[in-house]
Amino acid sequence: MPLRLGHLLTAAAVALVCAGPAMAEKIRIGSPYPTTTLDPIRSANAGSIETFGQLYSRLLRVDETRALAPALAEKWEVAPDGTVVTLTLRDAKFSNGDAITADDVVFSLLRVRDTPDSAYPAPMQMLDKAEAVDAKTVKLTLKSAFAPFLGNLEVFNIGIVSKKDVEARGEKAFVENVVTSGPYMVEKWVPNDRLLIAPNPNYWREGYPKNEGAELIEVADSNTRVSMMLSGELDAAREIPWSQVAEVQANESIEMPLEPSTVIYIVLMNHTRPPFDTLEGRQAAAMALDTVAMSNAVTFGAATPANSTLPNALKFYDPELKVNGFDPAAAKTALDASGYDGREITILITDEPEREKQAVLMQALWGQIGIKSKIEKTDAGTFWTRLTEGDYDATPTWWYNETTDPDLAVRWAVCGTCGNKAYYTNYANPEVDKLVEAGAAELDETKRAQIYADIQRITTTEVADIPLYYPPFANAYSKKLTGLRMTPALQWTLEGAEITQ
Amino acid sequence: MNSISFIGRRLLQIVPVLIGISLVSFFLIMMIPGDPVRMVLGPRATEEAVTAMRQEWGLDRPIWAQYLSYIGNTLTGDLGQSLKFRIPVLDLVLQYLPRTLFLVAYVLVIALPATILMAVIAARNEGRWPDQLIRVISILGMTIPVFWLGVLFARYFGVKLGWFPVSGYGDGFVEHLHHLFLPAVSTSLWLAPLLTRNLRAALIEQTEADYVAASRAKGLPEGYIFRRHILRNSVLPTLNLLGVMIAFLIGGSVVVEIVYAVPGLGALMVGSVLGRDYFVIQGLTLVYAIATVAITLAIDIFTAAIDPRTSE
Repeated sequence: MPLRLGHLLTAAAVALVCAGPAMAEKIRIGSPYPTTTLDPIRSANAGSIETFGQLYSRLLRVDETRALAPALAEKWEVAPDGTVVTLTLRDAKFSNGDAITADDVVFSLLRVRDTPDSAYPAPMQMLDKAEAVDAKTVKLTLKSAFAPFLGNLEVFNIGIVSKKDVEARGEKAFVENVVTSGPYMVEKWVPNDRLLIAPNPNYWREGYPKNEGAELIEVADSNTRVSMMLSGELDAAREIPWSQVAEVQANESIEMPLEPSTVIYIVLMNHTRPPFDTLEGRQAAAMALDTVAMSNAVTFGAATPANSTLPNALKFYDPELKVNGFDPAAAKTALDASGYDGREITILITDEPEREKQAVLMQALWGQIGIKSKIEKTDAGTFWTRLTEGDYDATPTWWYNETTDPDLAVRWAVCGTCGNKAYYTNYANPEVDKLVEAGAAELDETKRAQIYADIQRITTTEVADIPLYYPPFANAYSKKLTGLRMTPALQWTLEGAEITQ
Repeated sequence: MNSISFIGRRLLQIVPVLIGISLVSFFLIMMIPGDPVRMVLGPRATEEAVTAMRQEWGLDRPIWAQYLSYIGNTLTGDLGQSLKFRIPVLDLVLQYLPRTLFLVAYVLVIALPATILMAVIAARNEGRWPDQLIRVISILGMTIPVFWLGVLFARYFGVKLGWFPVSGYGDGFVEHLHHLFLPAVSTSLWLAPLLTRNLRAALIEQTEADYVAASRAKGLPEGYIFRRHILRNSVLPTLNLLGVMIAFLIGGSVVVEIVYAVPGLGALMVGSVLGRDYFVIQGLTLVYAIATVAITLAIDIFTAAIDPRTSE
């Protein structure tokens, strides 16, 4: 009997150890950002954005050279005055076999603009009328000439959905048997855990996707992502912690190309509260921060120190701009001139190690010129409510731009009349607001470049916010995988990825 | 004592418990700052979009009105929809219940034999080296943080040796066993010591009881006394502790779930609290409450079977 029990235990142990993972045909991608919805207009959160791109094709796409290329629209024409865009659709089908028609396009675009709780209607704000001329032709009339419009047709939430299906099933259309127009369709969604996607047999792009689909896995803990990457349980992972990049890079089966992103880290200040309500106070705060040291300390040298209020991967970014650089003596003089009374300010942060590091450095550097501060940690829910309500003094945070055109970026970060109070800082300069509109309406590239250079110079000088650094994506990829990268606009190039070994 | 009326009485007690729990959890979550709509739509959403979604979901109504409609819906078996995922709360809970129960059962299968073995060895060798050794191991098990241990286990057994997956749940029974091995061991490592300390103390206390001395005087064999009297009488306090721990594990294995990326009810709860997904929090609270009451009831029935005095 003891012998048999021993055998049994040994057999069980062997079975346990040898039961390897199932045949890995799908590309497994681990990300801390959850997919919370499959409806492209319902969320502008990072995880959902990454998913939308895989499920829904847009009219245009950005190719490998970052130029606009045909997607569902095979050609397009812009009227000389820039107010009418006519697009011709290619022969394409939804995942359920229905043809993708001009009606679907009109429906999808207006849905983004007009649904009351559409998460991000901004890219379609200049759209006045959308008409289906015939089954294959869409005519879009703009309120006025608008240079970034074509680029906006490529944004994550402008994916084309089936009019017939969404009208028939409402919200259910994005929960079960989701009809998609992109390279993939939904195989299985386990909310809060993972999303399995399979190739869409009707995808318009010949020969794509080049793989059997993917498993988008939510892995909240960064240590776990690293373990999964090292043990081969992931083929790609988002956000390897900076402190572990060297360890992961040392692994010969993994590569970390550190791709450029449109992400920018900044310090937001509430312009209605002292000392940030005066130009001198903000300049003092900016000049006190040694952004080179901060960038090195937090990202171990992976990021580029920032010099402008705009991300460095954007068109018209100005690398020559040099204002309010690190200068503690000048900072002290400016602070004295600001009339700062020595009151303690609060640095509000979310409960993340990187944010904490940034806040501690800010606190120390500001302390050197005499700005007293304390750090307050909250969870993300409280943080966003307090930020959007303007209930904060200063906070280190980040944002990114979904296109390389700077229009949406300036509207989000520095425009006082564009709906979100210049990223909730309350910064408002009528001259900048005017330039924002002028930049969008200007069709001449040279003149646009000048306008965006002016915007960057004014807002950086006036310290709309304090630019810290431009981090690359700290993504890790298995070397057996080819063709998978993340575009600056937070989209995976998944359809062209292949598992080679 | 009629056992049916015993169970009936217990089931009746659940009603005020559930009302109380739903009331407290509902108002607590509504009072902490943080807007679920803002979390769902993302920071870029306009004020108008936020307002529109609040109206659509009835979140702009007075809090008591929201509570009443919540109670009304719950009584008809409708736990509502997740604000975040827009799918029924019940579907979400049922999706994660099996793997959470699997993990709890797995933990028990590992932890209980270990507990009994360690407690008996420790009690029978009180004060000698095996007892001391088990004490040291127990203290280590209880004090090493699970998240740290989890990372070490994953790196060593998962990455270096490649014996176990460091994440996920797998497909099918054998894969579940394989995938959940490290999470179950990590949990057992703090649970077993806790139970061992408790059982050991009870065993030692019973060993010195008068009736044991009397049995010895009657000349009964030591092994018989231990199995028949000491163990049986010592198990009761540990059984109660076990009940509490099982109830805790159903919702509280969050750390293990996150470290090993095998989300269950615990991770769902944490995600819902962080995202202020009110109806999921309410639904989960209800599930926990029912589970706690059911486990307590089962333990009580079990206890009554071992010791008939307790049901009087």
